[in-house]
Amino acid sequence: MRRRAGLGAIQQQQLAAEKYKDKGSDIQESQFEQMSKQMEVFRLKLEEFAVKHKTDIRKNSQFRKQFQEMCAAIGVDPLATGKGFWSVLGMGDFYYELSVQVVEVCLAANHKTGGLMELNELRRRLIAARGQSAVHQEITNEDILMAAKKLSIFGNGFAVYKVGKGKYMVQSIPGELSMDETKILTAASNTEKGYVTLKMLTEELGWSDFRAKQSLDKTVSEGLCWVDEQDEENSHLSYWFPSLFPGRYAQSI
Amino acid sequence: MMTEFEWPWEYTFPPFFTLQPHEETRNQQIKVWSDLFLRYLKYLNKFQVNINENTFPLFNNDAIKRRLSPETITVILEQLQRTGHAAPLDKRRIEWQVYSYTLEEYANMVYDWIQQTGQLNTICTLYEIASGENSEGTEFHGVDEAVLLNAFRTLENKGKCEVVQLDDSFGIKFF
Repeated sequence: MRRRAGLGAIQQQQLAAEKYKDKGSDIQESQFEQMSKQMEVFRLKLEEFAVKHKTDIRKNSQFRKQFQEMCAAIGVDPLATGKGFWSVLGMGDFYYELSVQVVEVCLAANHKTGGLMELNELRRRLIAARGQSAVHQEITNEDILMAAKKLSIFGNGFAVYKVGKGKYMVQSIPGELSMDETKILTAASNTEKGYVTLKMLTEELGWSDFRAKQSLDKTVSEGLCWVDEQDEENSHLSYWFPSLFPGRYAQSI
Repeated sequence: MMTEFEWPWEYTFPPFFTLQPHEETRNQQIKVWSDLFLRYLKYLNKFQVNINENTFPLFNNDAIKRRLSPETITVILEQLQRTGHAAPLDKRRIEWQVYSYTLEEYANMVYDWIQQTGQLNTICTLYEIASGENSEGTEFHGVDEAVLLNAFRTLENKGKCEVVQLDDSFGIKFF
């Protein structure tokens, strides 16, 4: 015969449920505590690691890159905090310094480049500007990208654009490049000498003549590219980016 | 043997030979051209240009098949005129005199030299000043006589010299 549920049974069930709940939160708490402990240990270890390898991180670009990848994987930005334990690294300083140099180098060349500079050229110029010692020479394109991206917090005067595979342009004049301008820049960077024609844009990007002309005129009016009316191969009209012209840095450094 | 002239990178940049429509870019372009004009003409020790001289390397880069139009050359020369480095020689502005120092600078250089060498109040010939042994090593040695003469005219206006016509040349007395 089945026993009918009585008041006592219900009470007992409630009691059990409560006990389970208590136990559950107990476990949760201890897990949390453990996690916190683990995080604390991890933080300490990371700090130890950072202190121990401080010089390596600052001097060795390969090491720095790996360290940064590690930080990124666990969601820590070593640059985000100037104070606290990350400051022992002086990582911030490294990039602040680099950022300032990026600004200096870009601004110095603005009148020639129209305010755009290809990343590899920027690196060459930075190395030339930073002095002879090995510590100063060891900067990678990733370092520069990181430094340049930090500058975007100052408004739209500084920006990094990806043009094509592994190619970046650093912009150092106020104003933002439009989507179309970025596409034109990409098309130009795919040519050996850094130019585009109306035909290239209509054929390769599928733009209308009107859209191509409008966007090119805008690019010219922002001082980013120059007009060549003597280009016989391209029906006497092509548009050239000094920032992408290889002949420029062959001489100027 | 002269060392080879060093062209700026712009000289191989095709649109450099087209006058730019955008004002800021054009100003930058004209500035680079002006510097290049003075530097190249000084290198050749040339003081006169003709805007129609279309095979002149300064106006024409054969390697990239780009050239300056006479109109663009005029724009550049007019800029040089504004800074005191050029003057048209005819009414149609075809022939131009160009000089790397301004006339005033030449005049001062010569005047200082005259003073230092104790030649005040004596008559020097234009030839002596421009090409004589004594002026060798000075910045104005070898400068076109017509340019120097124009420089002395500015000095004459200030009462610091007098230009007198000799048989087929000029003599200058400084005070």
